[in-house]
Amino acid sequence: MKKDNMVAMILAGGRGSRLYDLTKKVAKPAVYFGGKYRIIDFPLSNCANSDISVVGVLTQYESVLLNSYVSKDQNWGLDAKDAGVFVLPPREKDDTGFGLYRGTADAITQNIDFLDQNEADYVLILSGDHIYKMDYAKMLAAHKAANADCTIAVMEVPLKEASRFGIMNTNEEDIIVEFEEKPAQPKSNLASMGIYIFSYDVLRQYLVEDDQKADSNHDFGKDIIPALLNTGKKCLAYRFEGYWKDVGTIDSLWEANMDLLNPENILDLADPSWKIYTEDVNELPQFIGANGVVDNAYITEGCVVDGEVKNSVLFTNVKVEEGAQVIDSVVMPNCVVKAGAKLVRCLVQENTIIPEGVELGHENSDKIDLITYKNAKKEG
Amino acid sequence: MYEALGIVNFENSDVTVGGLTDYRPVAALSFLGRFRMIDFVLSNMTNSGIQNIQVYTRYGGRQLFEHVGRGSQYNINPKRGKLQLLTSDKQFRNDVYNHDIAHFMEHMRFIEASKCPYVVIAPSYFVHCCDYSEVIKHHVEAGNDITVVYSSLENADKNCLECDTLTLNEEGRVTAIAPNIGKNKNVELSLETYVMERKFFIELVKKADETSALYWLKDIVRDVCDEVKVGGYKQTNKVCCVSSLRTYHLNHMELTNHVAAEEIFKPEWPILTKTNDSAPTQYAPGSKVKGSLISNGCFIEGTVENCVLGRNVVVKKGAVIKNCIISADSFIGENAKLENVVVDKDAIVNHVKKLNGTADAPIYVKRADRI
Repeated sequence: MKKDNMVAMILAGGRGSRLYDLTKKVAKPAVYFGGKYRIIDFPLSNCANSDISVVGVLTQYESVLLNSYVSKDQNWGLDAKDAGVFVLPPREKDDTGFGLYRGTADAITQNIDFLDQNEADYVLILSGDHIYKMDYAKMLAAHKAANADCTIAVMEVPLKEASRFGIMNTNEEDIIVEFEEKPAQPKSNLASMGIYIFSYDVLRQYLVEDDQKADSNHDFGKDIIPALLNTGKKCLAYRFEGYWKDVGTIDSLWEANMDLLNPENILDLADPSWKIYTEDVNELPQFIGANGVVDNAYITEGCVVDGEVKNSVLFTNVKVEEGAQVIDSVVMPNCVVKAGAKLVRCLVQENTIIPEGVELGHENSDKIDLITYKNAKKEG
Repeated sequence: MYEALGIVNFENSDVTVGGLTDYRPVAALSFLGRFRMIDFVLSNMTNSGIQNIQVYTRYGGRQLFEHVGRGSQYNINPKRGKLQLLTSDKQFRNDVYNHDIAHFMEHMRFIEASKCPYVVIAPSYFVHCCDYSEVIKHHVEAGNDITVVYSSLENADKNCLECDTLTLNEEGRVTAIAPNIGKNKNVELSLETYVMERKFFIELVKKADETSALYWLKDIVRDVCDEVKVGGYKQTNKVCCVSSLRTYHLNHMELTNHVAAEEIFKPEWPILTKTNDSAPTQYAPGSKVKGSLISNGCFIEGTVENCVLGRNVVVKKGAVIKNCIISADSFIGENAKLENVVVDKDAIVNHVKKLNGTADAPIYVKRADRI
């Protein structure tokens, strides 16, 4: 086994209930993003680009699609000899029977055997529902340099929004002295990004202890991190500067997609040195027809545009027929916008057909309209 | 289902696609942005259930090795199937000796070692969907010794002058094979795709080798068509013949139309290729794109009409390109005006340049050129 082996564990069991119908049949990490990706492509590609070879994916809610999606590890180049993506849903056990994951920490506790098997020296805990690019190797280097027990990635947020996050109060060496979950009166603006590196021996001990506590939520933020701090373990705040977005609501998902239209966007998906990998859909390149009008758009393979697309993001295989208009909208894979239909400020669920002449969404709406294959017929 | 060994043959020396084939064999030539020519013949083979494939290449192995790899993207089973890329260690200074028969003889032991009763031999310069399992079925039912796939071609007086034509009798038997000299408008064009028993193929190759040091496979097939039973199999699907820079350009222009492209790309017959993980394409405010086929990873600010853009192409503000093929990673600078131009990979065409070719004589810009 290689030296300083870091195993990544991606928490991908959440539903993301504020995404409504988008997560009715799939967990949030499997939701589409950015034309050709799914959200979980981001942590998986970050792992691959950070030279991590073993990635466990902890799934629970509606996991059939997600399990088969991530198990194709060749899509992220995680299929080398010693590498792999391992799907870890809850399982039946000899002593405790079948138990769902009771919290983020419990999901790891129940897979301690997996971490033991892979001879982890460090464990990287990630969440499967954020959009960002990050070199975890640099974070590990900081963890080792500081001789820390736990390193938590943090980013500066506007102070007035800090009460929505888990806030780290640190000393001048960025050592965390206090952690407050959604504080009413935040003392700092360093928010936790839900990305942790633990030295495995320390993590293992705290997970086993936490498992015995009857009153614990078995959660990293609520239980494990406070326990480490209370017992004097060294927790380092690792400052991240760059694009990071939690796409937990229809509005924030729409907004993060629209961010891609800005050529100055620091996420820069076109950067060849840090590619985001995804499944290969094997579609034709995109066709812009003789009647097509494309103005400020982000379009991917398989699309056929013979109508007007303005300030919008089209996902794989979207068809925009002649005379149709797609404005300020995000249209997920395999949708058809029929002739004469009009979408304004909409987010359209995959596989939806917008019938001829139907107009949906409003120019001045304060909320983005979610169009599903059930409500697509509604006249706007 | 008949087990067959797939053999991807290289094109004869008459087939050259302008300067593009100075850098790579036709098999590795990019087609419609994200594909390479060899994707079509390999997809045809694996879609037809062929899992053992030999790819013969005369030169330019690097691009093919990189692109084809072990062939898992074509659904070749990594354990039970096999894709062999066979280059030659015996390159003759005089190119007339570097023909397919010499390559088959050099690698004869691999052909002999195969357990497949049949072989399907096909080149990569014809783009079409062809179910070889149907051809083999026809071959067995007709009791042919050799079956040649052909297609009815209109405008043969202008196109495919590098290819051969067939003369067939009423029973579908090939009675003569001759080069297309452009005399007739309508011909039956040989797609140089053959089905025969593997043992018969081995004998035929040896016979060609003994007959003449200059013989290609198609020469010996022509010779034997009055001795053995050579049958025709008519391909009714659309066929694009890419045998010159003009036809390369012409086929691309035709396929920028989505409806025309659907004749080649059918949902039940996927054309498989290697992914490059490019991000989607960004159309900046003010860009004007019409009637074009655009690959992923492009950044477009200018005007693009009836063009095919490869991956990661940049078209800057004020640039106007019409009827062009821009290969991957090329850069079209501000205010550049291009019409009927084929730009090779990694080229940089900077501002205030004007290049006007015609449909009959498109201009070619070399790989990694700066103009």
